[in-house]
Amino acid sequence: MSVKVEVGAGGIPHNQILIYGLVGSLVLIYLTYLNTITNTQYFSFFGGLAAVAALIWGTDTIKHLCSYGLGTGVPSAGMIALGSGVVAAIFGATTGIFAPIVTIIVAAIIGAVAGLMANHVVRMDIPVMIVSLIELAIVGAMTVLGLTAMACGTFEFLGMITGTVEFLGFTVQTYETSVIGGSIVAVIFMLGAIAIQHSFNACLGPGEKQDRTLMLAAECGFLSMITVAIISFAFIGFLPALVALLISIIGWIYTYVKYIELSKRDAYAWLDAKPILEPKGGA
Amino acid sequence: MEEIVFGIGITALAGALATVAGAAEDTESDIGSQGDPNSQVQLAPQMGYIHRIFNKAVAGEPPAYGLWVALGAGLAWAFMAMQINPILAIVLGSALAVFVQGVYATTAYLGRTASLAKFGQPVYIDILKSMTTVTMAHAFVAIFTTVAMCHLMIGALGHPFPLPLLGLVWGIALGAAGSATGNPFYGKERQYQEQKFGAGVPISASGNIVRYAEAGQRNSLDNGFFSAKLGGPASGICFGLIVFFELWRTVVFEELSIWGPIIVGIVVILVFAIIDRYIEVWARKNFGPYTAPEEAST
Repeated sequence: MSVKVEVGAGGIPHNQILIYGLVGSLVLIYLTYLNTITNTQYFSFFGGLAAVAALIWGTDTIKHLCSYGLGTGVPSAGMIALGSGVVAAIFGATTGIFAPIVTIIVAAIIGAVAGLMANHVVRMDIPVMIVSLIELAIVGAMTVLGLTAMACGTFEFLGMITGTVEFLGFTVQTYETSVIGGSIVAVIFMLGAIAIQHSFNACLGPGEKQDRTLMLAAECGFLSMITVAIISFAFIGFLPALVALLISIIGWIYTYVKYIELSKRDAYAWLDAKPILEPKGGA
Repeated sequence: MEEIVFGIGITALAGALATVAGAAEDTESDIGSQGDPNSQVQLAPQMGYIHRIFNKAVAGEPPAYGLWVALGAGLAWAFMAMQINPILAIVLGSALAVFVQGVYATTAYLGRTASLAKFGQPVYIDILKSMTTVTMAHAFVAIFTTVAMCHLMIGALGHPFPLPLLGLVWGIALGAAGSATGNPFYGKERQYQEQKFGAGVPISASGNIVRYAEAGQRNSLDNGFFSAKLGGPASGICFGLIVFFELWRTVVFEELSIWGPIIVGIVVILVFAIIDRYIEVWARKNFGPYTAPEEAST
């Protein structure tokens, strides 16, 4: 039985973030469906925003889970989240318009199985383990589905496995140049796995503050969006990809500057080219 | 026969690229105190040892390099899909991946240090400015060479995996090689030069890392010099040999039988296990346990 160590008490309650994250990412992923309705690709960037919402929620979940003394387990939590999530997201994508909802249900089941294994087979006995792994699996699945939808403009499986290639002036459809066929899903997996664990891993310590950690989570999300937007030039039109890139860059700059301000607020001192300040009485 | 000679040439080139990648990777991670040395750099201020050492804990090295290389490969793949020349595509992809690496490094340092405010550890902005750029330069070398190596495997040896997936696999292998081979040189030697030789590291010495240099105060660039001398080349040889033997056994023995490369792989592992065991026993006999220093008799 592990003992809970409360880090960074206060701030927004976890359940509130959970609801915002879940509903927010679901709604934002469904907004990419406007692509299919209006027959354009300009709404792809909503997938990335869904991933940002999911990552903020996931960061708070990791903080919750890792307050049970899992110092080096923080990166592993990100890996298991995206590992469970990618299976759920690809399975969910095969169900057409119901993809986001099916993804959430499948991810919850995978997360529950992983949680039960961790608590009762590996015997980690952490009270919030099962709930946290369910949440993390859903977060991972929504991140994969969101970023994939951003890259290829749709969350439907057929769009993920068909790419186009120019051949002798003709546009030919191939599997090799698709998001799944080209293994861009592997890049998205790693982007999500590092982004989800980085914020808490970077901010942990006695002076951890929730607003700073969550701002970093948003920053990681937008940074991942920038790279996916660049990759999406290979799959969707030039202008839709440019819109996605601009939105990601603006979001990233805003959150990065905010994060530096918050770090400045929380730091002991903010020095430039100054020597070590030895504490009173020496070490 | 000609095909095998060509294959061996590509194998040697891939091994050379991997050697450069390993050396750059270890130097990069040591300048950032990532992986093995990180716990002591993180602990030092809590024990009252305020320091000017870069602390960028993004994750363990294998996952972090899994991301940088997979991202570099993914971006390069996307640029190639847009009909951009492969060399240019790999350079652009690696440069963008390095940008992501640099951003992660700065946020990690700021976050970790700001959370240590209670212990009086200030944020030194000059560390961020001077050391992030150096780690980014080393990371670029590591990412570019690894992605180029993966592209060679696909283009010249006909590896069936797409570039991003191969990048992920070899990125994790690169991080693991650097973390296992190079980091002990820095983490277990360089940080503990204040302890007497053979004294071990008792709990009371935890966090008592070397903070002052020959002249002035030590920063992570000094650790970069040290890593470039010992840990980096060692990691380079490690990763280079991994890549070389991995490709060599397939290129040469696949012709004989489908089981050829597998049997050769097992033999290579056994040979290395025997060599490692021999070196370990030899080193234990010659360097440890600690004995009183012998004085000259006359």
